[in-house]
Amino acid sequence: MSGGAGPGRAGGGDPDGAAPLPSGVSDLPGAAQSDPPGSTGAPRPAVAGTPARPSAPGGSDRAGGHDGPAHPDAALLDRVALGALTRIDAMRPSFRLPDDVATDANPNTTLKPLGELAELADVVRTAHPLPAARALAGELFAFAWKETRGGELFAELVRGEPQATYPVELYGVFARAGLRNPAVEELLAATTGLRLWQVAREDHTRTLNVLNAERRIGLPPHADFAEVLAMTGLGRRPEPWALDRRTAYGLTHDVFHVTDWGRVPGLMPEPLAGYLRLWLPAWTASWLEERQWDLAGELLAVAACVPQAPYDPAAWREFAAAQRRDGAVPEVGDGPPEGAPPQEQFIGCYHSTLVAAFAATLARAAAGSGGAPGTAPSTPEATPAPAPPSAAVAEHTPAPAESEVLP
Amino acid sequence: MAEQAQENSSLSAVVADVAAGVALALDGGRDSSALSGVLAQDDPLALAAIRVLGADVLAPYALRAGGGPGTTTDTGTDMDSGMAHRRTARASGVGAGPAARGARADGEVVRKALAAYPPGADASEVSLWSYRGLVEASRAYLPAGQGGPESPAGAGDRAAGPAAVAGWLQADPWPQLAHRASQLAALSLPGLAPALATGLAARTEDLSRGFVRAVRRRDWLQAAGIGRWLARVPDVPDTLGLDTGLVYVLRMSGGDARVALHTAIARRFHGRGAR
Repeated sequence: MSGGAGPGRAGGGDPDGAAPLPSGVSDLPGAAQSDPPGSTGAPRPAVAGTPARPSAPGGSDRAGGHDGPAHPDAALLDRVALGALTRIDAMRPSFRLPDDVATDANPNTTLKPLGELAELADVVRTAHPLPAARALAGELFAFAWKETRGGELFAELVRGEPQATYPVELYGVFARAGLRNPAVEELLAATTGLRLWQVAREDHTRTLNVLNAERRIGLPPHADFAEVLAMTGLGRRPEPWALDRRTAYGLTHDVFHVTDWGRVPGLMPEPLAGYLRLWLPAWTASWLEERQWDLAGELLAVAACVPQAPYDPAAWREFAAAQRRDGAVPEVGDGPPEGAPPQEQFIGCYHSTLVAAFAATLARAAAGSGGAPGTAPSTPEATPAPAPPSAAVAEHTPAPAESEVLP
Repeated sequence: MAEQAQENSSLSAVVADVAAGVALALDGGRDSSALSGVLAQDDPLALAAIRVLGADVLAPYALRAGGGPGTTTDTGTDMDSGMAHRRTARASGVGAGPAARGARADGEVVRKALAAYPPGADASEVSLWSYRGLVEASRAYLPAGQGGPESPAGAGDRAAGPAAVAGWLQADPWPQLAHRASQLAALSLPGLAPALATGLAARTEDLSRGFVRAVRRRDWLQAAGIGRWLARVPDVPDTLGLDTGLVYVLRMSGGDARVALHTAIARRFHGRGAR
């Protein structure tokens, strides 16, 4: 989800998974596309017009709408989330996909933002305790599906780049919520069944996202989730003081993929959870000091994805203070100046504003699900040598539910 | 303004020289641990440098007195432990010959430094602590009769007893705690401030977070100072990577003599930083 499009991210600094687009995608020649946009005629109606509300898969799943214990910081968190959602809603024109989305358009400013909007709006629409937040997020999610022309766009993208993972990753976001397109699924059965599809990819974090997409769509996993996780920035548990910005972005996404974007914190293997509980406060403080609001927001979201990680009120205050009156949270520093063109405002704010809504939702929901109670500075002990992630995942997996069990 | 800056710059240079000399003595690269051999005694900057470095200027004596790896961690009160180390120092055979002459000269130069730069009425807590640490170190590590003044002006006693320790040690959020601990790193030498050491040992995870923050800020001196406190305790989180971290900080600091002194002490007294 770290934006290759964001300020300071030039050079494809996208270690991520939510970002559906590999950095190389825009280098591929448009001539390779056998099915340019426009050839498919008018958009067909969506196969499923309304996103389905996912059923609660297990005890630790977070679903909004039920009253848990009041969060001590509910007012602040709700202000952040609602402000951010309102701002995102106002940015809809910038999220709209151009006609040449499947050919010439820059995917980092078109498909990637839309995919991120869908992924995070889906969490908010299902997990936020306030009906107003859920409703607004639901509208944004439906908007995103509509922009894909009921998924038809994915068929075009797959035909254009059958080996690419991003159409699969993007489609998986919608498939998870029950928004499906049979033509896409027929195509994916043909392309993801190849031995080519199983060739290991360079970015392990990204591979986790592909594995999640396969699970969401119902495709067989092309690799072992735990084995891939063990090779990521999170799985390797690097020296916490050595973490650089890029590795940190990878690590936040490892967490999102393991926990299905915070929906199932219990899927986090305990040795990794202990590592995160121990060092998150230092990372969050560090990147807040650098005014890296986007990364700090992701780290606050991560804290809400980890069982028993304490809520950090001081960090949240600092983060919330970076939110502008219009609800936007700049990616870094002051962000684009007031009066900057809308596209510049969009690029400089959209991702961090989405992250703000997402993190505030998870933090708010965590209090009601036993995810992250308490505000004490004490954190659990350092973890000993990790158990093999596969064993740990199995051990901590909540009541089996088809949509949540990792491959 | 310009004069002040020049003075500070000169002082930094002298501090670096003294720190480098002490580190060399710790690593056995200098025959004598005599501080007085490192600097020009009448140079006011030299005396100021001793106050800046505090107890660390006597670290080689502490090592001789048995403060190396395997030394038990301090318990009990400042006074008890200080006495214990004093006895060790007196019994360790540094009371005669060239070493004794060096110790006498060092005691004298430390006394001068303490007299020249006593903490004022508005001195910061760090300055008070540092002063007290140097007083205590000269009593504890130097042979009998070579120690510093018996509490001149009572400033050392006023500095911080265990009661004064309690407040911030428990209440400070981790970034402030770690920053302050780093400023007091010289007090981590064996026996100088057991109450402080015990209080910080109860917040190992918070200090570890401070180490992370300091390295990320490329504040190598702060990181090395925090690292020294962490080197004392047995329960540093494995995932911190303290040993590789201390080496990293040393190398990344690009030859900062004060960083090198901190890391040398962590290595020589606690066996941390380079295995």
